Amino acid sequence: MEEFEPKIVGFFCNWCSYAAANLAGVSRIKMPANVRIVRVTCSGRVDEKFIFKAFSAGADGVLVCGCHPGDCHYQKGNLGARRRVMGLKPFLEAIGIGGDRLRLEWISASEGGKVADTVKSFTQTIKELGPSPLNGRRNEH
Amino acid sequence: MKGDMYIARAADKDILKIGENGGAVTSLLKFALESKMADAVVAVKAREGNRYDGIPVLITEPEKVIETAGSLHCSSPNIARFLTEYLDGASSSKLAIVVKPCDARAIVELAKRTQINLDNLLLIGLNCTGTLPSAKAKIMMKEIFEVDPADVAGEDIEDNVLTITLKDGSEKKEDLAKLEEQGYGRRENCRRCEINIPVMADIACGKWGTTNKETTFIEICSDKGSQFAQAAIDGGCITIEQPSAASIDDRNKKDKAAIESAKQWQEKDFSRLEKMSSEEKFSYWFTQFHQCIKCYGCRDACPICYCKDCFLEADRGYIPPGEIPPDVMFPMVRIAHVMDSCVNCGQCEDVCTMDIPISLLVFLLSKKVGDIFKYEPGMDVTKLPPLRTTTDKELTLSGVDIDFEP
Ligand code: SF4
Ligand code: SF4
Ligand code: SF4
Ligand code: FES
Repeated sequence: MEEFEPKIVGFFCNWCSYAAANLAGVSRIKMPANVRIVRVTCSGRVDEKFIFKAFSAGADGVLVCGCHPGDCHYQKGNLGARRRVMGLKPFLEAIGIGGDRLRLEWISASEGGKVADTVKSFTQTIKELGPSPLNGRRNEH
Repeated sequence: MKGDMYIARAADKDILKIGENGGAVTSLLKFALESKMADAVVAVKAREGNRYDGIPVLITEPEKVIETAGSLHCSSPNIARFLTEYLDGASSSKLAIVVKPCDARAIVELAKRTQINLDNLLLIGLNCTGTLPSAKAKIMMKEIFEVDPADVAGEDIEDNVLTITLKDGSEKKEDLAKLEEQGYGRRENCRRCEINIPVMADIACGKWGTTNKETTFIEICSDKGSQFAQAAIDGGCITIEQPSAASIDDRNKKDKAAIESAKQWQEKDFSRLEKMSSEEKFSYWFTQFHQCIKCYGCRDACPICYCKDCFLEADRGYIPPGEIPPDVMFPMVRIAHVMDSCVNCGQCEDVCTMDIPISLLVFLLSKKVGDIFKYEPGMDVTKLPPLRTTTDKELTLSGVDIDFEP
């Protein structure tokens, strides 16, 4: 049997984690290729609709990355993202998608290694969880 | 003063005769108009005498207030929505408005969203331990009480017994728990509701703490309520006495018992869901969502769904037009948008054409979200919805998962 390769959507803030992902790339740090990165202007831009859209389109996991608290270019965008993710986890859990399929991480522009570690560990988590039930359901139709 | 308590009754003999529990609420409403402290009163009235069809009415003539005397337990009109849809959120007139706890909480949530001007409202709260779904109540009257639903002249819930009074003055009683086991009794959200005394209103009125059926127990819950009640007392519209310690104690006990019963219902209904495996949860909820016919009823009824330009509309680009059942985005966005502020009013479930237990899910989530953010919807107008706000203090908290203080 082929190993399950999760599809993960990563919403990365332009000012920090997106740059860090670039840095990881040019530094040739190895990481799984499961994360499709969407560049956003700020983690605060990632509202629940983005996250649900990713799941509805077949994502097995969603990773939101932003600047560390205090470092957001729009002051409190990342604080909103944190509250949102904290609130959405129990929701995803309650309807059987699973709260662990959503993760938030703070990664500054210089933390290329943290991008790789985050992607590795999140991919591993999703592998253990298996395909998203929404994903499976979509395929039935 | 806030916190003051009275045992009150109408001074007017006619109101005393017609009004429930001494007609204090009717008298206060009449006084609000006569004293010009309110331009109009909003209360609930049986449409053409039909107790199963209670509708909100706007009254400006003091003599007409008496038409709204007595509570209708078999209707649950959407008071907050009535205010925003038809009265422009009280932006330009002063209103005295009769509210159940969930109505008051919805009004408070809408005030936070600047959809209702709380300064123009005098909230006259009524204690509530639940209302009955009107269509089912009629069947219950026929099948269980064996009476013609049109013959019912009053309902009352006390100590877990539903008593109905017929037009000829006779009474019939049934055990509420037994009725609910049989699928009758109160609306499901009401069974789970633990807010019985509307302390978020300006004054809270109810029969708990009174011994006969001729008086109302009133608690003053705000400065505005205090000024109003004092004026009503000075104006001779109600007569009052101080409640005895025993009476206050009795009221507290009744409230506690009702809270306990609500907690048991929560435990029963929530644990059924919590016990499911992930797969079972998914299959349960998505089978439910799959029945949705996208009538938009839940959104249109929910007081928290106040947006003029809703994301669920096809032209917003998230939910494709012409698809039934709608994409999973539909229920998920609707629920996520209200789950931090749900006041458990049950309006969404009342209107759902497909009987999807939406308020069960949203209320469950509002409890979970409330636990995380230490937030209770509709209780305090100064506390903002947790998923729509942040504080400066959070700038210094570095985790991705942080603790919130009450
Ligand atoms: S989600 Fe339902 S129960 Fe909650 S506030 Fe809205 S209409 Fe009321
Ligand atoms: S679903 Fe969301 S966008 Fe639509 S009315 Fe409700 S809160 Fe507003
Ligand atoms: S009221 Fe029920 S059927 Fe109508 S849109 Fe809401 S969930 Fe769907
Ligand atoms: S700018 Fe990076 S999270 Fe706001």
